[in-house]
Amino acid sequence: MTQAVEANPYAPQVARLSRVIEETPTIKTFCFDLEEPLQFRAGQFVQLGVPGLGEGPFTPSSSPLEPAHLEVTVLRTGEVTDRLHRMEAGDACTLRGPYGKGFPIEKLEGKDVLVVGGGVGLAPLRALIYKLLSMTDRLGRVAIKNGARETAELLFRRQYEAWASRDSVSLEITIDKPEPSWDGHVGVVTTLLDKLPQEIDIAGCYAFTCGPEIMLKFVTQKLLEQGLTPEQIYLSMNRRMSCGVGKCGRCNIGPYYLCKDGPDICYAKIKDYPNVFP
Amino acid sequence: MRPIYYVDEAGLARLLEAVEADEVFAAVRRDRGIEYCNLRARPDETLALREPRPAASPKAFLQPVRERVAVYSAAGVDADRSCPACSRRVLVGLRACDLKAVEYLDKVFREGDFKDPFYEARRESDVLISVDCVAVHENCFCTAVGGSPFAEAGFDLNVTPLDDGYLVEVGSDQGQALLDRAGDALREASEAEQRERQERRAASVQQLHEQTGGWRVSDRIQEALLSKDDAQGWGEQTTACVECAACTFICPTCHCFYLYDQAGGEAEFERIRTWDSCILGDYHRMAGPVGAKPSPRPGLRTRLANRLLHKYAYSPEQYGMLGCTGCGRCIEACYGGIDIRQVLKEIDR
Repeated sequence: MTQAVEANPYAPQVARLSRVIEETPTIKTFCFDLEEPLQFRAGQFVQLGVPGLGEGPFTPSSSPLEPAHLEVTVLRTGEVTDRLHRMEAGDACTLRGPYGKGFPIEKLEGKDVLVVGGGVGLAPLRALIYKLLSMTDRLGRVAIKNGARETAELLFRRQYEAWASRDSVSLEITIDKPEPSWDGHVGVVTTLLDKLPQEIDIAGCYAFTCGPEIMLKFVTQKLLEQGLTPEQIYLSMNRRMSCGVGKCGRCNIGPYYLCKDGPDICYAKIKDYPNVFP
Repeated sequence: MRPIYYVDEAGLARLLEAVEADEVFAAVRRDRGIEYCNLRARPDETLALREPRPAASPKAFLQPVRERVAVYSAAGVDADRSCPACSRRVLVGLRACDLKAVEYLDKVFREGDFKDPFYEARRESDVLISVDCVAVHENCFCTAVGGSPFAEAGFDLNVTPLDDGYLVEVGSDQGQALLDRAGDALREASEAEQRERQERRAASVQQLHEQTGGWRVSDRIQEALLSKDDAQGWGEQTTACVECAACTFICPTCHCFYLYDQAGGEAEFERIRTWDSCILGDYHRMAGPVGAKPSPRPGLRTRLANRLLHKYAYSPEQYGMLGCTGCGRCIEACYGGIDIRQVLKEIDR
């Protein structure tokens, strides 16, 4: 890209899909093999869009250690995502970013890490999980908790075994309602947090969560009940964003813009401002 | 300190004619009030620098209502058509409050990790000529938010209307260069003229004080706003507000925008930036199934509260200044008759 366009944060690049993976009936992963790698920190997001239609903020689900191969996992839930879901390998998408701060990896040295996902919320957390798996020797224990409405909506199921195969990593999965073929845990994802004090060092851990905002609310409540402080809790909140660079105004919580100061934001920063949770 | 010059009525007109610019937008008198008008296209218009501020702020010059910010096709972005193109432009008649708003917009668009190249280009090339308010609009309350009816910085030239003629103060090299082109129209101001400037400024400050009854937005406003229960106390405003968003569009510091894409030429797309407003229901709405479109601020009262919070509580933290200049334009723009001074007074008791 020319310098003039690089200096224009609103101008997208055009990237062709190399592959589309059907993850669940409502979720697909869009893969790009980029000529110019898109260097991002886990948790930073991109604006991915359909030419002529519009774009939306999505945190890549792929490994930040492989910046030439970008994956974005998207729930079909609106106009842009519906059109995205109808796209195939070879189709052109608009892409710009990365934006935001990303997860505070530098704080995790020697710490236990809790990752709590719900539904498509596991997508941005997978970028974090890749990063964590690459540095387990510098971390304490890593506990991953993930929930979905039903087994068909469990995201990245093919990878669970590999994640949990590490000694220091545990993984627990739940679905909201019982199913005949499911002999695992049933209940909302917060029910996986009941035994937290036996699993991780409550006082010295960091928790990262992403999912529907109502889930974030109850996960936060539960974590506070379990003794975590607001400083230890990070919420990944991709609210409606347009510019992605802290200027268009719409993604604020208090004086913070989720696009610029997040989208993974420390609960301590925002907890006293209005409209944090629904 | 740079010298202050005197120029008579004809001299000021000559000065503006001598300016090297494609467009000279100045506050002029029209039947319906004071408006900005391009003197290059309409040279016969009468300058209105002795009147209160125009109903519209100069925001739209720096941040247009609608603007193309990128052109792209499936092959990629068209770099030549995705960068700013500015005309040489002079803006005449900005008030001290307008300059304060420009200072605020500068912080939004010219600072931080990402700069807005379109805003930046206009700020680089536009010449700003401000004017002291020798007449004050009844809705003005700049002194209540730390402002004043005359500017001391932020201009290329500042004009003070006197009974007869004008005083011109230079604020930048660009401003000086402008004066140099109309050299014979100017002479250094006499002491008496400078005294008249002081008196006129003091008189406007006095009038503002009378108008506001000495009221000032206090340092407690942030705390008062944040402690106000979101679910209560916004009832009166909520009933009066018709959600037209005029307050945000007329506001000189409100800068929210939305980017959308549309078909351009054949197999080509354009990305358009357009003004948006936090008052509108769809502004925060996220994607979701029909009937369950989630929004962090679904209720009007939360949106009204968010707007006030942004102006008086968040902006000081974000940009080190209030997001309100006390221009009072939102007061006359409001169809519901909401007077922001009354709202603030009730909160900040």
